[in-house]
Amino acid sequence: MSVLSAIKTRDAAELPGKRDEDWRWTDLRGLIREVPAPSAALDPASLPAGPFDALTSDVLVIANGVGAAHIGLEPGETKVVALRVVARGSGAHAARISVDVAAGGKLTLLETYEGEGAYLGQTGLRISLAKDATVERIVLAADDADGVTVAQAEVALAPGAAFAQSLITGGARRQRLETLVRHPGGHANLRLDGVYLLADKRHADLTTVVTHADVDGTTQQLTKGVVRDQARAVFQGKIIVAEGADRTDARMGHHALILSDRAEVDAKPELEIYADDVSCAHGNTVGALDEDALFYARQRGMPEADARALLTEAFIGEVIDRIDYEPAREIVRDWAAQRLRV
Amino acid sequence: MAAVKQTVEHVASLEKYKHGFVTDIEQDFAPKGLNADIVRFISAKKDEPQWMLDWRLDAFERWLAMDEPDWAKVNFPRIDYQDSYYYAAPKEKVGPKSLDEVDPEILEVYKKLGIPLREQEVLAGVEGAPRYAVDAVFDSVSVVTTFKKELAQVGVIFCSMSEAIREHPELVRQYLGSVVPVSDNYFACLNAAVFSDGSFVYVPPGVRCPMELSTYFRINAEYSGQFERTLIIADKGSYVSYLEGCTAPMRDENQLHAAVVELVTMDDAEIKYSTVQNWYPGDPETGKGGIYNFVTKRADCRGDRSKVSWTQVETGSSITWKYPSCILRGNESSGEFYSIAITNGRQQADTGTKMIHLGANTRSRIISKGISAGKSSNTYRGLVSAHPKAKGARNFTQCDSLLIGKQCAAHTVPYIEARNGQSKFEHEATTTRLSEDQLFYAMQRGLSQEEAVQLLVNGFVKDVLQELPMEFAVEAQKLVAISLEGSVG
Repeated sequence: MSVLSAIKTRDAAELPGKRDEDWRWTDLRGLIREVPAPSAALDPASLPAGPFDALTSDVLVIANGVGAAHIGLEPGETKVVALRVVARGSGAHAARISVDVAAGGKLTLLETYEGEGAYLGQTGLRISLAKDATVERIVLAADDADGVTVAQAEVALAPGAAFAQSLITGGARRQRLETLVRHPGGHANLRLDGVYLLADKRHADLTTVVTHADVDGTTQQLTKGVVRDQARAVFQGKIIVAEGADRTDARMGHHALILSDRAEVDAKPELEIYADDVSCAHGNTVGALDEDALFYARQRGMPEADARALLTEAFIGEVIDRIDYEPAREIVRDWAAQRLRV
Repeated sequence: MAAVKQTVEHVASLEKYKHGFVTDIEQDFAPKGLNADIVRFISAKKDEPQWMLDWRLDAFERWLAMDEPDWAKVNFPRIDYQDSYYYAAPKEKVGPKSLDEVDPEILEVYKKLGIPLREQEVLAGVEGAPRYAVDAVFDSVSVVTTFKKELAQVGVIFCSMSEAIREHPELVRQYLGSVVPVSDNYFACLNAAVFSDGSFVYVPPGVRCPMELSTYFRINAEYSGQFERTLIIADKGSYVSYLEGCTAPMRDENQLHAAVVELVTMDDAEIKYSTVQNWYPGDPETGKGGIYNFVTKRADCRGDRSKVSWTQVETGSSITWKYPSCILRGNESSGEFYSIAITNGRQQADTGTKMIHLGANTRSRIISKGISAGKSSNTYRGLVSAHPKAKGARNFTQCDSLLIGKQCAAHTVPYIEARNGQSKFEHEATTTRLSEDQLFYAMQRGLSQEEAVQLLVNGFVKDVLQELPMEFAVEAQKLVAISLEGSVG
C-alpha cells in the first residue's frame, strides 16, 4: 500500500490514511475519494523559468511525471543541477528519479516543486553517495493550494560521505516531504533541515527517518516553521541507532510558531536506540511569538506588522543560514521573506 | 574471611527478587477460562446488585468484539485468555470482622513484605511517625483495610471496591467508568468485565485527608490474573495522597495484571498518586515468567484549579504497558507526571503519559527517567495535546534515558499536538550512557563499581524520587539499586 501504487492502480483504498501510524496526521485516504485520471502530457518548453534557473545551465524538468530520470556524477566531478518537478492540471502522476554520486563527487541539487492545479503528484527519489561524496540538496516546494504532493527520497550514504538537505515549503492542500536516510557511520555526516511557512488551509508534513547502522556517525537536524490561519504543520523525525552503532552523535530540533488561534502543529520527534555508547538528543517547542521581543521592537517605533515579520524572519533565518551554497541561500531567503510579509 | 563471606551473602541476597515467595493458602477459585458465566460467577461471589452485573456483562460483550492492541513496542506471545483463573480468593468463613479473624497465613505474608496491617504496629516506634492506612488486596479480594474508623471521623471513605458497591452504590454508579469508559481499550474493557476488587476513596469537600492512604496488591495464586479497579474522588477543595505497591511470587508462567485506576478531582482539589511497582520481572536469563502489567490509569481534572500528580517507580513486571494520564478539563487545572522506569534482564517497558489540555490556562509537567540494562527495552511514549479552547496551556516535558550495557534499548516516542496559538509546549529528550568519567571519578574515591553505578543512577533519578512521599522514597531508592544489580561488569 502506497501513494505510488494508488496512482498506478487508480485505487483510492491503496492510499495511506490516519489509521496508518506514519500517516496519522496526513490523511490522504480521507481526503481523496477517487484517484484522478492520469495527468495530460505537458510540454516543458511551455513553462516559465524555474526559481534556480539562473544559477546553472544544467536544468532537468519533470513535467507531469515525465522527463529525465537520472543524474550521475563521475568520481571527483563537481556539478550544480537544477531539478524541476512541475505539475499542471488536475490529473495524477508519479515520477522516479535516481541520483548517483561516485567517490569524491560533489553535487549541489537545486530541487523545486512547481505546481498549478488540483493535481496528485508523487515523486520517488533515490540518492546514493559513494565514499567521500558530497551532496547538498536544496528543495523549494512551491505547490498549489489545491495540489497534493508526496515527495519521497531514499538516501544511502557511504562512509566518509556528507549529505546536507534543506527543505523549504509553503505547503499544499496536502503535502508530504519524506526523507529516509541509511547512515553507515564511518564518519559520514548528515544534516537534515527544514522550514515550513504555512498560511490559509495549507498543510505540510516533513517526515524523516535516519538509521545509523554502524559506528561513528553524526546527524544534525533542525526544522523550524511558522503556521497561521487554519494551516497545519506536521513534523515526524525518527532517529534509529542500531545495535553496535557506537559513538553515534545525533541531535534533532523542531521549533514552531503558531500565529493564529486555529492553526495546528503536530510533532513526533522519535528516538529508537539499541546501542549504549551514543549521545542523542531532541528538543521540540511550540508556541507563539515572544511578547517581550514584540514589545521591545514596537517600543523602538516599529509598526506591529513589521515587528512580527522581523521576528519570524529571524526565527526561521537560523535554518536558512545553514545552507552552504550561497546563491541558492539568498534565493530561498527572498522566497521565505515574501511569504512572511503578509 | 568473615568480611568476604558477608559480601558474598550480601550480593546473593541483592540479586534475588525478594518478594518471590509463594504462600500455601486454601483458596477459592472460579473455574479456569473466561465466558459470561465466569462474569456472573464473580458478580455472584461478591453479592453484587443487578446493575453491577449488567455493567459487567455489557463490558464482556464489548470486549469480545475488540482486538488486542499491538502498537506498543513490546513483544510477547499471544495471551490465551482461556488459560487463566479470573477469580482467586483466600477461603474464609464469613467476611472477617476484625484483623484477628483474617487468616494468619495471609497476615504472615504481609509481615514478610513489611506492610503494616495492625494499626498499633504502624504506631510502634517514635511518636509522631507518619501513619498510613492500608487496603491489602490478595489475589482477587481485599483482605483488610486499616484505619477506616479514624478516616470516617473526618468523612473520608476508604474501603475496598466490593464494599463501596454495597455501601455507597450512589457514588460508585456516578463515577465508575466515567473517566475510563468501559470500552476505552482492550485491557480496560476486560477489567470492567471481570474486575474483582480494588480500593475506593472519597474525600468530602474541604477535607485534607489526615494520613496517606495506600493499597498493597499481592498476586499469590498460580495461573491467575489480577484485575483490580481503583476509584478515587476528591471533592471540592480536598486533598489526598495515595500510594500503591505490588509484588508477586516467582513463577514460570506469565500472569496478567490488568488494572484500571480512575481519579476525579473537583474544583481546587488535589490528588497525589504514587506507585512503586515491583511485580516479578521474570527470569533475567531466559525471560521466562513474570507479570504482564497492562494498566489503564487516568485522571479527570474536572474542577477549576484542580491538580493531579502521578509519580511512578516502575522496576518490576516482565512487560509494562502503562500511561497514567490527565484530562485537564477545568480551567487552570494542572497535571504532573514523574516517572522512573527501570528495565533489566529481559524486561520490556512501554510507558509514559498523556496530558490532554482542554481548559484555559492549564499546565502540565512531565519528567521521565528511563534506565535500561541487560537485554531489556524501555520506551517512553507520551502525548501532549492542546484543544483550540485551551488558551494559555503550558507544558514542559523532559525525558532522559540512560543505557547500561550493549544489548539494551531505549526509545522515546513523544506526540505533540498543538491546536491553538496561545499555548506553549516544550519538550526535550536525551539518551546517553553512564558517563565513564563520572564512574572513574567515583571509583577513584574508593567506591566499588556497583556502588558507583548506584550513586550515579540515584543522581539521575533524583528529580523524580524527591516527588515521592517520604516512606516510599527510601524504599524506592533501595529498589532502584536492587533492580540494577548485576548490570555492570
